[in-house]
Amino acid sequence: MNKAITVSNITKSYPGVLANSNVSLEVSEGSIHAIVGENGAGKSTLMKILYGMVKPDDGSISIFEKITQLSSPKDAIDSGLGMVHQHFMLADNLSVLESVILGIDNATLKNINLRRYKSEIMEVINKYNLNINLDKTIDELGVGEKQRVEILKVLFRGAKILILDEPTAVLVPQEVEELFNNLRDLKDNGVTIIFISHKLDEVLEIADEISVMRGGVMVNTVDSENISKKELAEMMIGKSLPKPPERQSSVGDLKILSVENLSASNDDGKDIFNDITFDLQSSEILGIAGVEGNGQRELVEAIIGIQEYNSGSIRLKDEIIDDLGIRERLGLGISFIPEDRQAQALIMDMTLTNNIILGRQSLKKYKTKLTTVNLSNATTASESVIGNFDVKTPNANTIATALSGGNQQKYVVGRELEDNPTLLIASQPTRGIDIGAQALIWEKLRSTRDDGLGVILISADLEELIGLSDRIVVIYQGNFVAELKPDEITPEILGSYMTGLRK
Amino acid sequence: MDDLINFFKKKYVIIAPLLIIIFIAQNEQYSQLTSSGTFGSALRLSIPILLAGLGGLFSERTGVVNIGLEGMMIMGTWFGAWGGFMYGPWGGVLFGLIGGGLFGLIHAIATVSFQVDHIVSGVAINILAVGAARFFNILAFDGIAFASSTASPRIEGEVGKFNLPFLTGGTLNGNETSNILGDLENANIFLISDISGLLVGLTSNISYFTIIALLLVPISVYVLWRTPIGLQMRSVGEYPSGSESLGVNVYLMKYIGVIISGCLAGLAGAYLVLEGPNVYLQGQTGGRGFIGLASLLFGNYRPLGVLMGAGLFGFADALQLRSEEAIHGLLIAVALFLFVLTINNLSKRNFKVSTGTFITGLFFLVWYLNSTSVPIQFIYFTPHLTTLVVLSFSKQKFRMPKKVGVAYKKGELN
Repeated sequence: MNKAITVSNITKSYPGVLANSNVSLEVSEGSIHAIVGENGAGKSTLMKILYGMVKPDDGSISIFEKITQLSSPKDAIDSGLGMVHQHFMLADNLSVLESVILGIDNATLKNINLRRYKSEIMEVINKYNLNINLDKTIDELGVGEKQRVEILKVLFRGAKILILDEPTAVLVPQEVEELFNNLRDLKDNGVTIIFISHKLDEVLEIADEISVMRGGVMVNTVDSENISKKELAEMMIGKSLPKPPERQSSVGDLKILSVENLSASNDDGKDIFNDITFDLQSSEILGIAGVEGNGQRELVEAIIGIQEYNSGSIRLKDEIIDDLGIRERLGLGISFIPEDRQAQALIMDMTLTNNIILGRQSLKKYKTKLTTVNLSNATTASESVIGNFDVKTPNANTIATALSGGNQQKYVVGRELEDNPTLLIASQPTRGIDIGAQALIWEKLRSTRDDGLGVILISADLEELIGLSDRIVVIYQGNFVAELKPDEITPEILGSYMTGLRK
Repeated sequence: MDDLINFFKKKYVIIAPLLIIIFIAQNEQYSQLTSSGTFGSALRLSIPILLAGLGGLFSERTGVVNIGLEGMMIMGTWFGAWGGFMYGPWGGVLFGLIGGGLFGLIHAIATVSFQVDHIVSGVAINILAVGAARFFNILAFDGIAFASSTASPRIEGEVGKFNLPFLTGGTLNGNETSNILGDLENANIFLISDISGLLVGLTSNISYFTIIALLLVPISVYVLWRTPIGLQMRSVGEYPSGSESLGVNVYLMKYIGVIISGCLAGLAGAYLVLEGPNVYLQGQTGGRGFIGLASLLFGNYRPLGVLMGAGLFGFADALQLRSEEAIHGLLIAVALFLFVLTINNLSKRNFKVSTGTFITGLFFLVWYLNSTSVPIQFIYFTPHLTTLVVLSFSKQKFRMPKKVGVAYKKGELN
């Protein structure tokens, strides 16, 4: 079979890091080829080189068996490559049609022939069975639809090779299935697909061939028929894959949190969440499952006091906390791991030591007698978090930006567990971090849970949710629609509740 | 009938004030509210704001906040006057455009190439422009009669004007024609005379410069929404990383947007000179660049909206110039409109807002009943107050470009 892409001996180093070392790769035309590896294994660098965004130090690339110089994305597009980025490259305010044709015409003042473009795009949509409405604006679309628009964008530009960077990271299982059907249609039409992922089940399901990267080196390329998940995992990380820790349900008797009939609506009078009631015991992890935007974020923000609610009440242990402000609630022992560590949890340009005071500025131990900041206590606390949570940093006075995502997140989790809270609200605690950091955070959550901590866990990673939680509630359009036992469900079942298919 | 009611429900914010004003204008004392003279000067007073607002539109749509509009407008006034003095009125138009465009270029270099904070750069431009205009004026007109450090000599001649044939008495092939609308206005028929007044004001004795400015509204719509370059410019204001990934030259688009912005602000300045006193005067712009920015907000980042915002300000400005009594009439108009808002909000069970509008309405009503005129200090302030009131009562759901004011570095994901 002809080769769509041949990469020979690519090397690329950044200051202090060898991102790709002597990497070679062959992709057959019309196949689905997966590239797996942990974060930092060099997958992204390789893809950026393929797409012309980064220049390799050494080595060569052939596309359709012709040596090609790729010095910009435009070169890549011209030679038939198309990239679907992990972060959607779409502008909310533009229509789907506008998003697809953006950049095709040179920037001139002649009228855009919208009707002609529309019929041409419809041809592509029909050929590959993509279900897309061209007249909607991007912000009206769901995640799966946005991804289809991205695929349509590159197909309409005549791409014969599609590179998908972690395409399933943002999708629920049903959407993943739909995406895979689309990909199979594409393959049947002769399109070559490179699929980057670290989710091994998915890779085994969709790919014909799998290449494994580790530490900037291409470890092996195997046929997906002849390999098991376990073997793949071992290849990927050099040892066996850590699993979400097994549950030994030992839910305590003490009621930590009880939420009664909580409702909130936005300025337009539309419900954000409606009549939410639940209890949380000590030593319990309550998982809240839901597709993003169904009210779970606002619900936990209401518990912390960020989100106002119209009715209902919240009780922490024996105390009703409805009238308390955020600082007072945190003072009562609520800890919060926000979903976006860089925007909400850390001040990126401040040192780790300064960051540990964040949210605890009113604690006595961080104040001197003159009410200035007690830096020596902060440094001690910061160093203990760094030690206990294995945060890889030169010292406690490094600024947060300098740390990798996994280490930032370990630091945040460590900070939130530092003062022995009674309630921890963890929103996406392991999103986008490497397997090592993930395993450590899971371990810490479990051990503090065993010590009596009550945890509310929100996660888009359904395996994590099922693996960690003692109980799972599903939130759909602002209502709790189901309460499930983790050992009786699979991600697929959970996904169907989350999307409202099952009630 | 249902359609009519629905239409009114949707557009009552525009229709109700118009009806109220027409109704009040039936009173002899307040007839200036709808006279052709008021509308004529309203048009002339709105054009600079319209041009500045359109300038803001081009810049902000490409993601660059342009608070330097005022400064670019100041350059427009001076360069307009200088061009006019040297090469006649049309030379003034051209040089006004170039002068504003030059300062647009400075703003683009600072914000796009060097990622200076947009507000900082804009404020710097506003300060720089005041000094630069004065400096140029002394430099260029030293020793010329009637020129001083703060004023240029007079520009000879003016941009041509015309009337519409048949409707407002324009000439056709050298023959005078009838003035149908003018006659209707003078006939004093309810509604018809008022609307004729509006049309006469908008179509008689119009200069070609005004026509060009008005044409820029549909031209802006066409360029931004119907051409590849417009699509690229808008995309850059929304999500530059995405545009870059599709081969759009992000920096170039931003440069084009900001320079067009400066050119339009410059035109606005030139208009102030050429359709006004025919000289450059220090402080001539009087904050109109900022009001242009307000009209951009009011117009929700769309050309037609900017036109409406500019028209509103121009109308209030014209009233304060032409008739102090009419301003007094505005008090009752405001009161009545606030009561309309009260009823509307009551029907939506929005009690907080309806209480607020009711009390404010009551205040204006009492004021109207207990006075025969508005204090003179207040009259000068009317246009600004109107802008303020309208901005605060208009629906605060701006759909501004997503990445406006955010510095973009090539190859960076943001």
